Amino acid sequence: MQYEICLIGLNHRTAGVEIRELFAVKDSRALEERLLAAPGVREAMVVSTCNRVEVLGVGRAGVDLAQVAAAAWAGHCGRTPVELTPHLYVHANLAAVHHLFCVASSLDSMVLGEPQILGQIKQAYRAAVENGSTRVIVNRMLHKAFSVAKRVRTETGIGASAVSISYAAVELAKRIFGDMRGKTAMLIGAGEMAELAAAHLQSAGISGILVANRTYERAVELAKRFSGRAVSFAELLTRLPEVDIVISSTGSPTAIIRARDVKEILRKRRNRPMFFIDIAVPRDIDPDINSLDNVYLYDIDDLKEIVEENLAQRQEEAAKAAEIVDLEAGKFRHWLTSLDLQPTIVDLLSFGENVAKRELKKTLRRLGPDVSPETEQALETLVLSISRKLYHEPLVFLKRRAREEQSADKFIDLARRMFNLDVEAVPGDAHRDRVGANEAGDDELGDDELDPFGGEDCAGGIPADEPAAAPAAPVTPNGPTGPTGPAGEDGRD
Amino acid sequence: MDFIKIVDALIAALYFCGAVVHVAGAVAGRKKALRAGAAMTLCGFGMHTGVLCVLLAVQFGTELTRSDFYFSLLAWSLLLIFFLLWWRLSASFLGLVAAPLALILFLSSMTLGGSRLPLPPALSGLFFGLHIGALFAAIGLLAMAGVAGAAYIVIEHKIKTKEKLSGFFKTLPPLSTFDKMNRLAVSAGFPLYTLGLISGFIWAGFTWGKTFSWDPKEIAAIFIWLLYAFLFHQRVMIGWQGRKTAWMVIWVFGLTIASMLGINFLLPTHHSFKS
Repeated sequence: MQYEICLIGLNHRTAGVEIRELFAVKDSRALEERLLAAPGVREAMVVSTCNRVEVLGVGRAGVDLAQVAAAAWAGHCGRTPVELTPHLYVHANLAAVHHLFCVASSLDSMVLGEPQILGQIKQAYRAAVENGSTRVIVNRMLHKAFSVAKRVRTETGIGASAVSISYAAVELAKRIFGDMRGKTAMLIGAGEMAELAAAHLQSAGISGILVANRTYERAVELAKRFSGRAVSFAELLTRLPEVDIVISSTGSPTAIIRARDVKEILRKRRNRPMFFIDIAVPRDIDPDINSLDNVYLYDIDDLKEIVEENLAQRQEEAAKAAEIVDLEAGKFRHWLTSLDLQPTIVDLLSFGENVAKRELKKTLRRLGPDVSPETEQALETLVLSISRKLYHEPLVFLKRRAREEQSADKFIDLARRMFNLDVEAVPGDAHRDRVGANEAGDDELGDDELDPFGGEDCAGGIPADEPAAAPAAPVTPNGPTGPTGPAGEDGRD
Repeated sequence: MDFIKIVDALIAALYFCGAVVHVAGAVAGRKKALRAGAAMTLCGFGMHTGVLCVLLAVQFGTELTRSDFYFSLLAWSLLLIFFLLWWRLSASFLGLVAAPLALILFLSSMTLGGSRLPLPPALSGLFFGLHIGALFAAIGLLAMAGVAGAAYIVIEHKIKTKEKLSGFFKTLPPLSTFDKMNRLAVSAGFPLYTLGLISGFIWAGFTWGKTFSWDPKEIAAIFIWLLYAFLFHQRVMIGWQGRKTAWMVIWVFGLTIASMLGINFLLPTHHSFKS
């Protein structure tokens, strides 16, 4: 092969958080440029999240890409490669492809199947494309990775069920109430998990949120965050009849909602169902109320159990997903073997197009301003199709040689020299259509398929530990981007 | 009416394929099969509608006295309600029951073949039509709510006992949807049932000179009506909902079916479909 692919990186398994902090890449663009400046490196892309950094490079055969990349990366972070290499994994060629597919499909994530990583890779790829640091191989690899990730998501149940306590609670609420519109939730006491659940409920479209707290000021503050209303602790019971979902997490040593209160409340509500989520220890809500009709009570242990079951289920689905990844990586190998030809084809075609466009511009200038748009369009189509047709036969010839002979190198080399392709700079917009395709792909992967909070890969622990790992999650009320909380500004993995 | 027979067979075939494909699609989780099954059932339903219209138009008097016609009509009204509910509530899972049920009723209408009701010729059309139409619509609603009620009870039990909803149960709609169907069956079904009952008595008064003749079916109907009325009161006035109403609708529906099939075929009654 003419080119080699190399992927080096570190993640939550190979490096502790201190190391990940040291080698996090804030400015991926600078690192990509640093890499491309090294001799023999043709393409580069960097993905950096709080749980992983992946540096992907493509270079001429014979260059020790892994070393070049490690040196550039360590240099970028103001460190020496000696500090970095013990924590690195290195994948070459097909192994690199396989690894990238795994990462994009979230098989390599801390929380298996969490959806954020795909978005983060898409973002990194877009930045790299805008930076002009990707070409044929990386483009193809990433596009394949996105489609593999989509296949995994639709064909396996890897992202199907909630793996965080707060999200599991919201899923249950949806099972009971269906549509969240017109429903009201009440937060009793403030805690990270309760706030996270409230944020989930809000993005599910709940109509109103009431907040009750022993310190009224805190209630007011929380209510403001969720654009809800604060309720004083004393009037808690009188407000309950208008509430459908109760999330309780106070530090009270005794139960604050008793079964006989709930009976009375139900009568006032004309038996409309109520869902109580008790995430306090010791429990805030009398467990007996679960035996009342139209009342559902889940405590922290119930929710934990659901989450654990779902996680186990994801493990099972991961095996299926791994098969898909293997299959697709195998397909990619075919493409790789015919790869040497691809850049030449692209270069050749864009060379022709450039000539055609240049000539078109000249002609149009000569024709003056009276040319109608239709004529202009027709002229453009004409010159472009001539330029393509001219190269058709040579391309067929090259493709046939590539297929029939072990190495079509000499012909490819000949073509490159004939058309002077290696001197001519590749036009800046050579990847333009590919970017468009990527964005279209984005939309296909609708958000509703994704569990926007289920992942929490960045929380630094299993999701059951959500509150502990998120000491000061700034839960903002506006949607999925809200509780990015814990790990902070440089995105989530 | 050989032509009608051929069309009947075609409708039965469509219902059969529709039911099989639909249920298989639901079990295998294939959306395309689900839709294809529903489309076949819908096709059969269209032809069924046509046949019923033709029969009514061509032989208005005689068809009304044929029992197979009533079974066919019952199958038709079940499907009509199923399609309406599907459209309004997007409660597609109803197809799992509606399509096979319609098939069974339609097939039984075909096998019953032409036995006559012992109807006197003096048919007071309006009341008789009301009697049949309103009752069948109510039974259709009850059937749907009965199935929804069963689903409600199972899912509610699972949620209460914190059992995991997996596989097929995960694809079912939320509890609130089932309860909505129950509400519909109670708030619309009970008035229809009442209307059907009253018009029947009025018609009997016209035709037989006696409004109430202690026929086993009439007694059963009164009993069911009382139960239904209690359910209606509890649901609409007191605000019962959920598990209790789901159970009651299942009871009302079960008794209705039992009275329709059991009494009609086993006990001497002037509602019998046998000649």
